[in-house]
Amino acid sequence: MMTPPGIAPRIVLSKIGLDGHDRGIRIVARGLRDAGFHVIYAGIWQSPEAVVQAALDEDAGWLGISLLSGAHMTLVPRVLELLRTRGLDNVGVIIGGIIPNDDATKLTELGVKGIFGPGTSVPQIVDFLRTSAKSAEPADLVQRFVQKDRRALSRLLTLAARGELPEAVLRETRASVNNGGPRTSRTVALSGSGGVGKSSLIGRLVEFLRSLGQTVAVLCCDPESPLTGGALLGDRVRISKPAEDMGLFIRSLPARAGQQGIAEHLDVMMELLQLFGFQTVILETVGAGQGDTAVYGLADALVVLLQPETGDELQWEKAGLLEVADVVVVHKADLPGADATFSQVHELLNLPGSRAVPVLKVSAAKRAGLQELWDTLQGVPQRSQRDAR
Amino acid sequence: MAAPGSAAQTTQPLASVPDRAEPATTVSGVPIDPLYTECNLEPLDGRRETQLGEPGCYPFTRGIHPTMYRGRLWTVRQFAGFGTPKQTNERFHFLLKQGQTGLSTAFDLPTLMGLDSDSPRALGEVGRLGVAVDTVDDIRELFQGIDLEKISVSMTINSPAIVIMAFFLVHAEESGFDWRKLRGTIQNDILKEFHAQNEFVFPPEPSVRLVVDLIEFCTEHVPQWNTVSISGYHIREAGSTAVQELAMTLADGMHYVEQCLARGLPVDSFAPRLSFFFNAHNDLFEEIAKYRAARSLWADLMRNRYGAREESSLKLRFHAQTAGCSLQDRQPEVNLMRVAYQALAAVLGGCQSLHTNSMDETLSLPSEHAVTLAVRTQQVLAYETGVPNTVDPLGGSYFVETLTEQMRREAEAYFEKIQSRGGMIRAIETGFFRREIAESAFAWQQAVDTRQKIVVGMNAFEESEEKPCDLHEVDPTVEQEQVEKLQSLRERRNATDWQAVLDELRRVAAENRNVLPALLQAARARATVGEIMDALADVFGRYAPGGESG
Repeated sequence: MMTPPGIAPRIVLSKIGLDGHDRGIRIVARGLRDAGFHVIYAGIWQSPEAVVQAALDEDAGWLGISLLSGAHMTLVPRVLELLRTRGLDNVGVIIGGIIPNDDATKLTELGVKGIFGPGTSVPQIVDFLRTSAKSAEPADLVQRFVQKDRRALSRLLTLAARGELPEAVLRETRASVNNGGPRTSRTVALSGSGGVGKSSLIGRLVEFLRSLGQTVAVLCCDPESPLTGGALLGDRVRISKPAEDMGLFIRSLPARAGQQGIAEHLDVMMELLQLFGFQTVILETVGAGQGDTAVYGLADALVVLLQPETGDELQWEKAGLLEVADVVVVHKADLPGADATFSQVHELLNLPGSRAVPVLKVSAAKRAGLQELWDTLQGVPQRSQRDAR
Repeated sequence: MAAPGSAAQTTQPLASVPDRAEPATTVSGVPIDPLYTECNLEPLDGRRETQLGEPGCYPFTRGIHPTMYRGRLWTVRQFAGFGTPKQTNERFHFLLKQGQTGLSTAFDLPTLMGLDSDSPRALGEVGRLGVAVDTVDDIRELFQGIDLEKISVSMTINSPAIVIMAFFLVHAEESGFDWRKLRGTIQNDILKEFHAQNEFVFPPEPSVRLVVDLIEFCTEHVPQWNTVSISGYHIREAGSTAVQELAMTLADGMHYVEQCLARGLPVDSFAPRLSFFFNAHNDLFEEIAKYRAARSLWADLMRNRYGAREESSLKLRFHAQTAGCSLQDRQPEVNLMRVAYQALAAVLGGCQSLHTNSMDETLSLPSEHAVTLAVRTQQVLAYETGVPNTVDPLGGSYFVETLTEQMRREAEAYFEKIQSRGGMIRAIETGFFRREIAESAFAWQQAVDTRQKIVVGMNAFEESEEKPCDLHEVDPTVEQEQVEKLQSLRERRNATDWQAVLDELRRVAAENRNVLPALLQAARARATVGEIMDALADVFGRYAPGGESG
């Protein structure tokens, strides 16, 4: 509880290049979470471009890179150069790995803030990050937002997530962007219990939408520790690719305990992403229980994911999340039992006289059912139109 | 130190003699009693004969040969590779001159990931951590002047293992060596890549199919070749405990055996050429128990679960490497002592070949000076200590036998755990192994950070001034040289030839036939590693690393 909730320092951790030895970075990720940081784990095999985009979209104060491949003198200067050209001088870079002294000196001269070798303890890294204070708030956010400056979007999202975005700023942003015209973008929320494959499905859906040329933004919620305020946000790994893609925006958000699996102020954040011009905005909840219906009403369409062999529990769980779903997906449809679950859910949700709910079979692993899911989602009217009825 | 050894001869209860305040645990966190006696062996009663046996006899707890190192010393096999094939070839000849008796090849990361040296993803990594290999011509340069019918060769490569094997066989054929006389090992163990090391390209199922393709082909055509080196080494390096290393490795072995049986191969045709690769970590007795337990578990599985009848199918043969993760970058000379004790554990545990790490490996690739000391460490052990003079000298020790039995039981419980997670492939896909290993790695780090575990020179006995060591430097022109060589080959070779063989490879892969014959054609047509792997990915797809970061 060193840092008040909501303003925990954010750090993106990643490995660049081909080396997959992730023992160290995973220990650091967990140690920093336990020390109250919001850690966005962006995974292995990343390109310099992709990690810089992650730092940008996540509005991270720190970028931690691990590499044991010996390619640091090629890859790290590239990261620093990209940060400079993207105007991200405020992002502090730290490196972990086997870096010979001469190289360490050169990298420090180039702007790396800290280098941690094999013998480093986690508390040493925590102390280093805590004592190196970060820079001040940038100015002209609204104006830069209107000019499509991604840094401004990223920072406004951070302010919104903390509940610190003044209503006047939001109004001003709204007025400067859409001039009151109808919005054409679409919002989708995905919910379901832990392990049902929400991130994997979103990953495939993003891939599908990007192949249609659509721009996509994703808000991923992961739990925040009620004890330390720290969080380890790992969904990004399953959604993004190791290369840069400016048509895709991912923001990882900590959801506080007792918030039904979603972060606060999501309505404002989704609106900002739409105003910025993303054609589809996807919201992923933390693994949710049937009673976690707070997500209802946040997006145009609420997709609830089930997986095979959950059928027996459905009888007494008709109420709750399933009741408010616009679309139900039986995910992992390649596994045995998918057909049985599909029939049960279909029967349960399409009783005579009740609201008909589409039930679909989808498999992210086999890339099956994505087109059908997308067609179905487009058939769900936008929330604003439904509210007007 | 703990209670004196004489305690057993007195009536004085142990509780009243001085002991450490901290409970003693192994490196893996397993509690250790101050004294082991005949009583500890009670659970073994009635089974002692079957669990221990004689050396060279089922279940091989005491070793796979009746005379062990009196008959033949272990093979000194140092892992080496850097830069261009020519540079590594020079290091190979240097090592043979130092008295090394087998070769072991390290490939660079682009090769391990199935990429050509001129791939944009290879930038900065060509020839860095191993030797760069793009085509069969690189394999020819790598083994120039080495008699492959006399010197056994180990190649550490996994996802593209079958491609490199095809290159190796074509090189042997073009140099006039008989495939039936080739001796050596290809690691070819993709499962531990998914658990621990993250060098994979295709999804788990087609990846395992390629492993089986190689086993099937070599069983018939290259009968002395070790077709897979089922590896716990990397699992341990990623932070697992000794039991996890043991259990996951044997579970991987079981999966390969089951897949070969499903292919229709008779168990005794391929099982004798399966080999193993374990870590040699700091905790001397825990490591010895691990190797002994591994042998008896495997013999039992092969005979009783898979119906093997040939004695050679039951014998677990293993290579050991000292633990890279135990080496420290501060006071690097202290690593010499760590390595020596770890090597002792491997030899007391009955390894067939051994790599001793060089003291400077947390700083860079080993220098010639450091690698020579590492070889000398094994030579002192072999020729001066007297350790090889007797077979399984610790057999019957109350402590070692108790630990060995404990390891066996815990590993068997772990096999059940994997089954309950839906079996090997499902457990990989749901991140089970990665989570288990990450938990253990984190627990170890916390123990070190809080000084519950002491690491000399790191969290105790530190020195304020560190002396610099002379380091090996990779020649920065390697990447350019390798890329130019590759590009000149691309211009020289006949385009229609290699493209046609790759089309044929795609067909064979899609039709579920053994891909190795098509790969030999591709190698002869000078197709590159990257081109071949891309062709296979067209059929198999690519596998993305999971996001389980806890």
